[in-house]
Amino acid sequence: MRVWLLALLPGLLFAQSLREFEKKVTEFTLPNGMRFLIIERHEAPVVSFHTYVNVGSVDDPSGESGIAHMFEHMAFKGTAAIGSKNWPKERASLAHIEEVYDKLDAEKRKGFRADPKKIEANQAELKDAIATADGFVEENEYDRIVESNGGVGMNASTAEDSTNYFYSFPENRIELWFLLESERFLHPVFREFYKERDVVREERRMRVESSPQGKLVEALLATSFAAHPYRVMPGGWGSDIDNFREPEAEQFYKKYYTPGNITIGIAGDVNPAEARRMAEKYFGRIPKAPLPPMVRTVEPKQEGEKRVAVESPAQPFLAIAYKRPSQYSPDDAALDVLSDILSGGRTGLIYKELVRDKKIALGAGSQDTFPSGKYPALFLFYVIPSQGHTLEENEKALYAIIEHVKKEKVDDATIARVRIKLRAALIRKLDSNSGLASELCSYSVNYGDWRKLFTELEEYDKVTADDVQRVAKTYLIENGRTVAYTVAPAEGGAK
Amino acid sequence: MKRILLAACLAACLAGGLFAQAVASYKDLKYPPLPQVKIPEPTTFTLSNGMRVFLLEDHELPLIHGLAMVRTGNLFDPPDKKGLSEFTASVLRSGGTKVKTGDQIDEELENMAASVESSMDETSGSMSFSALKENGDTVLGVFKDVMTSPEFRQEKLDLAITQTRSAIGRRNDDASAIPDREMARIVYGPATPYGWQVEYEDLLHIHRDDLVQFYRRYYFPKNIMLAVYGDFKISEMKEKLEKLFAGWTVEQPPVPKFPEVTAKPAPGIYFAEKSDVTQTFFAMGELGGTLRDKDYAALQVAANILGQGFTSRLLSQIRTKLGYAYDVSASWSANWDHPGTFTIRGSTKSQSTTETLQAVRVELDKMRTAEVTPRELDEAKDGVLNSFVFFFDSPAKTLNRVMRYEYYGYPKDFLFQYQKAISAVTRADVLRVAKERFVPENLAIVAVGNPKEFGKPLSVLGKVNAIDLTIPEPKSDTKPESPKADAAAVERGRALLKRAQQAMGGADKLAGVKDMIQSVDMAMGGTKMKQQNRWIAPTTFRQEIQPIGIVAYSDGKSGWLSMPQGLLPMPPPVLKQAQGEIFREWITLAMSDRDSSRTVAATGPNAVEISSADGQSARLEFDAGTGLPGVLIYKETGVGGPPSEIRETFSDWRDVDGIKLPFKALIEQNGKKTGEASVSEIKLNTGIKPEELSMKPEPVKK
Repeated sequence: MRVWLLALLPGLLFAQSLREFEKKVTEFTLPNGMRFLIIERHEAPVVSFHTYVNVGSVDDPSGESGIAHMFEHMAFKGTAAIGSKNWPKERASLAHIEEVYDKLDAEKRKGFRADPKKIEANQAELKDAIATADGFVEENEYDRIVESNGGVGMNASTAEDSTNYFYSFPENRIELWFLLESERFLHPVFREFYKERDVVREERRMRVESSPQGKLVEALLATSFAAHPYRVMPGGWGSDIDNFREPEAEQFYKKYYTPGNITIGIAGDVNPAEARRMAEKYFGRIPKAPLPPMVRTVEPKQEGEKRVAVESPAQPFLAIAYKRPSQYSPDDAALDVLSDILSGGRTGLIYKELVRDKKIALGAGSQDTFPSGKYPALFLFYVIPSQGHTLEENEKALYAIIEHVKKEKVDDATIARVRIKLRAALIRKLDSNSGLASELCSYSVNYGDWRKLFTELEEYDKVTADDVQRVAKTYLIENGRTVAYTVAPAEGGAK
Repeated sequence: MKRILLAACLAACLAGGLFAQAVASYKDLKYPPLPQVKIPEPTTFTLSNGMRVFLLEDHELPLIHGLAMVRTGNLFDPPDKKGLSEFTASVLRSGGTKVKTGDQIDEELENMAASVESSMDETSGSMSFSALKENGDTVLGVFKDVMTSPEFRQEKLDLAITQTRSAIGRRNDDASAIPDREMARIVYGPATPYGWQVEYEDLLHIHRDDLVQFYRRYYFPKNIMLAVYGDFKISEMKEKLEKLFAGWTVEQPPVPKFPEVTAKPAPGIYFAEKSDVTQTFFAMGELGGTLRDKDYAALQVAANILGQGFTSRLLSQIRTKLGYAYDVSASWSANWDHPGTFTIRGSTKSQSTTETLQAVRVELDKMRTAEVTPRELDEAKDGVLNSFVFFFDSPAKTLNRVMRYEYYGYPKDFLFQYQKAISAVTRADVLRVAKERFVPENLAIVAVGNPKEFGKPLSVLGKVNAIDLTIPEPKSDTKPESPKADAAAVERGRALLKRAQQAMGGADKLAGVKDMIQSVDMAMGGTKMKQQNRWIAPTTFRQEIQPIGIVAYSDGKSGWLSMPQGLLPMPPPVLKQAQGEIFREWITLAMSDRDSSRTVAATGPNAVEISSADGQSARLEFDAGTGLPGVLIYKETGVGGPPSEIRETFSDWRDVDGIKLPFKALIEQNGKKTGEASVSEIKLNTGIKPEELSMKPEPVKK
């Protein structure tokens, strides 16, 4: 595998390493549109699986924020054959829950004229209906099968632009994965929906409501974006979650979990021909369906700085975000390079200035695209002030760095360093099955070709000091800026 | 036309859907045996200077990595310099070497997209490097220089201390991190290296020389193991390392054993209040065991059935069935060389706090009273045995394991002994170890949350002990360069204070004041308030604030707080503020030289620092012309907030019964103006009684 060394050299030689890697990758698409990427890596008899669904919280319908995430949870609830003690009876009882819930909703919709007694009676009936259905559930059977067969790292995540399901099996369980994964996306059963809704609500309490930084980021996004769905965090709003209905999640699944919208990465000790045979057998069963619609809302141009204060008894924290174009912009590579110059490692300007030399920040950094990249997004800075130093002081110092980057061109050595770092980062990504499965899926879906993982290095090589200066001047401007910061709550008590 | 239609239909059918081919149940799948795992065998040897080396080739990617273990740990921190080992490890890298500063090393390494790092754990120090193959030699050279000739430059120690001070100040911000930390303190004991935490005070005692001494004591070849893996040839690497480290031959006596754990069970319910969360975070724990424990495998199985993974009892019951929590788990975390803890942790919405803790207890009791089902046992064992291959899925894991076994003195085949032990665990074993080791009576239950939103109060579960999260201020922080030791400064301080007493009307007059009533109009931010302060010498104090309707009373030791929501005992942070107010009461402060528990020392030509034995302190600055104390500066820790510096500037001095007192004050916090106070009336020696001050307000009738 000596060829990897070539990846370090620019130009033509680099293309050879890509060709070498291509030998390990098998790509195919089923007639129903589902795409597979198989990466052979025979170092150990283990395999990692990654299902990348091209749907995320940006696709949540209005009033149902968080529903993409809610379905992700339901994807672990099993099927008719997995997770039920008595499917016919369970199915009837699940239908009954919805009938009762419909009655309850119908009464609630009367608003001021609703009869509280009827509501109470309906709620009691709903509770009973749920208890009856729960009686038929074989708890967590889907998870149990995976875990007892030696599956590791099983989890899923819902982001703004994607939903991901992943875990690894010993090599002799490959077919089990094909069976389980195809079953759950072919005919999932939405059992225990209303309890899982509580769990999802708890997750929001943990990640957002009880986390000072979570609250600040939520305020930043809601302030910065006026219209685009990036304004809502993937978890959704608490009141939307509280009112999710099972048919809403089912509708969402039917619309977005179509085979053409799903890409699967399999990396490890796997035979591509075998994998293809199993893919056809198991996933070929999923009927072809139209691709879901794309988000139509385009964020209007921001016409001035926005600021938002978040009351928090925690220590101060600051986030500053600038509007930037999507990952498909020709400026994307230059923005990546800019971010690395500003905050990469211990040589990043922000670290050197705020943390190391002025000692006014405990930590500070930037992220080139936030919260995601498929749509126009944000270039984010964050600062955690040191004790005894204020947010104002840090904000000022950060702006001085930004102005400096706009005025002075970075030197060639800095550009060269960033290129090397980005190359090495790619090589280091290639040493795990789970990383490979996920990266290749992500690049394939986001750019139409997994090879972009390699070819984007060529784009980085083309970025010049002029480009870096130009994108800083173009995007890091006051009119596109949103500043979110914490303030101490007003205090009562002794003076 | 017809034919085409039929063809389209056929294509659609073949593509799936209408005649979906039935697949077998997962139960019918047959699994071939796994191919034999190739476990690479590391090459081990000892360099001539005594350093142990472990090498493994891995040619998949053009990278070289290294990891060294140093026999030391933060368990060796001196009690008054907690954190020393971690400062040593971090400044070892950031402080540079004899010939290069840390910043130069940063640049050099990042120009090669390489890294060299150094860190400290409980029972080991570690150093690592990672390099592209082509830079292997250069990076290895930097790694060796950092390890063998660190310079510990002062500026980097200063930076590390600044960073740590900020981190201490932020340690209560994230509620989810508090329970584990507090539980460790309770389970191991806060005065032992296993339970203590680094405080502001420690930072004052750590100097560059301490780092140098710590480094010398522990960083020597015979005390270090080094593992290197990646794209190289063993024979070449062996030669390279021998040459590279040949000149480093320092020796030290063998490092002593790590201290024993001396903890006794400290069961109980411990609660810390945090008002800015909607969830309660909890951890309950007791002392566990080591990896050598004969029951380790059975304990692992038992803990897994109780609370590991999506299928565990805790998750099934509390997340899936009750919907109380997103996250709840149990773990038997055994350490290599000293007992770990058995811990159940999780979080739940505030309303269901008590119910969740009760539900956890029910599951724990079930583990102790009945055997687990055969299916539970099989699945837990299968989970471990079927995923066993993942222990060997990368050469790095294998190499790391081999080195760690040797470091802690474990047999080479320990992992396979464990595999065998897991296979042998029975249902009776699980019940027995659960009974013996998961002892509810020993559990320390720590919860952090907002009690105002609790459905059932925690006290339903038993007596609740309050945890004070206040971060202790350093005892000596407000005294620059210890004025106590300087007799001349004390002399000058007293003289300055005496001059001030004279300017205020004379020491005898001041000493004659036994009580004071002060009415103040305050403007803070946009809010206007009326304050009435009543004080009886020496330490009885009552403050009323209108229109908010707050009354605070303290006798200096305890107190109460009445707010529109009700009356409560004064919480520790507020009590601290009240004690500060009492300490700074005008008359007492001006007469500090007559109080033997106070020290007065000059800190400048017109400034004194007054401090008390119980940790209070304040700085007074005098008007050079009049001698009156025009400025008062002190530190105050807000309720849950960071400590801030308060500066009060006085003016409008008026005569009250022959004593000069200020009627106006400007209040600044951390250099920013936050309020103005204007006194409307001061009355002295009114004869008020302590009972009047301690009288609680009538509850408001609804």
